[in-house]
Amino acid sequence: MIAPFTDSSTLVAGIVGIGFGFALERAGLGSAPKLAGQFTLTDFTVFKVMFTAIVVAMLGAFWASRLGLLDLARVYVPETFLAPQLIGGAVFGAGFALAGLCPGTSCVSAATGRGDGLAVVLGFLAGVAGTASLLPILQSFYLSTPRGTLLLPDVLGVPYGVVVLAVVLAAGAGFAIAERIEARMARRTG
Amino acid sequence: MRSRVVVAGIAALLAIGAAFVGNPEPHAGSNANIRALADEIEHESDHVTALELAEWIRQRRPDLRVIDVRSDSEYSAYHIPTAERIPLTMLAATKFDSRSTVVLYSEGGAHAAQGWVLLRTAGVRNVYFLRGGILDWMDDVMNPLTSSELTHYFGGTARTGAVPLPGGATQVVARMRRRSC
Repeated sequence: MIAPFTDSSTLVAGIVGIGFGFALERAGLGSAPKLAGQFTLTDFTVFKVMFTAIVVAMLGAFWASRLGLLDLARVYVPETFLAPQLIGGAVFGAGFALAGLCPGTSCVSAATGRGDGLAVVLGFLAGVAGTASLLPILQSFYLSTPRGTLLLPDVLGVPYGVVVLAVVLAAGAGFAIAERIEARMARRTG
Repeated sequence: MRSRVVVAGIAALLAIGAAFVGNPEPHAGSNANIRALADEIEHESDHVTALELAEWIRQRRPDLRVIDVRSDSEYSAYHIPTAERIPLTMLAATKFDSRSTVVLYSEGGAHAAQGWVLLRTAGVRNVYFLRGGILDWMDDVMNPLTSSELTHYFGGTARTGAVPLPGGATQVVARMRRRSC
């Protein structure tokens, strides 16, 4: 269920959002040139920050639930619509590469007074409004190829804990590979 | 560098621990959980009586969800006020708010009791089934030997009375009684 605006969860979401924005800015992700480095393989900060966030959230959610501090049944998992989400992902990626910012980092960038960040914020808000106005036409595609709520443990048929371990190992391997690529690119450009 | 190694080590330990425990639900599927469920059954804290449920509905107990696991036609013929129908096959996939008090009922209680085990095993906490099912509901709330406030509240009548139950429920109960005998 989406929490109503009067719900205290909105306040919590606001606090978490400010924390997330602060962490993004501290990691330097309010800077478009730094993010663009991800696409030229010279700076993997985005990959490392985001994968770290995934690992921290995943381990936190798993163990908080295990210790009875969090009810995972109340955590909203968006439904999968395969084709529209594949196309949406490609459009998102293209926009990210062109602008050098994604929605979250553009807000951080705008909040720190950067003009390019503000331009991207206005651009994605215009995109949201445009998509909303075209929704009646896009509706059938928007709701096509529904797959319901997919969770990796269910799809792969393995326990949650095994997926948690696999994701952490993948993150570790990914970080090692990313740093090798960064070092190689630095030698080439240096 | 040293702090990175420490953080990576903590993540690795937590991940290996997760792989060993397997499930994020506390005690889910473990022997400890099965023992806890057995204790609940032994101490009869797994069910409510028809009068208790009627009182909860009348009090508009917050976050009460009454679930009818019978067939669609049985639900359409008569169901306990405020009840929603969720078949057993859909029950385990249904998300329940952790604050909810869930009461399952079936015709006599067996299916609801099985649903209780399904939900408790899935980690839903405040679950009960209606002992005696809708048959007890009819006997104790809608058609008791002597009428009570609850009977009036739900529009029932004492067995000696001649007023028919709403929605032809009298015939439905009679049919259920014949079938269950």
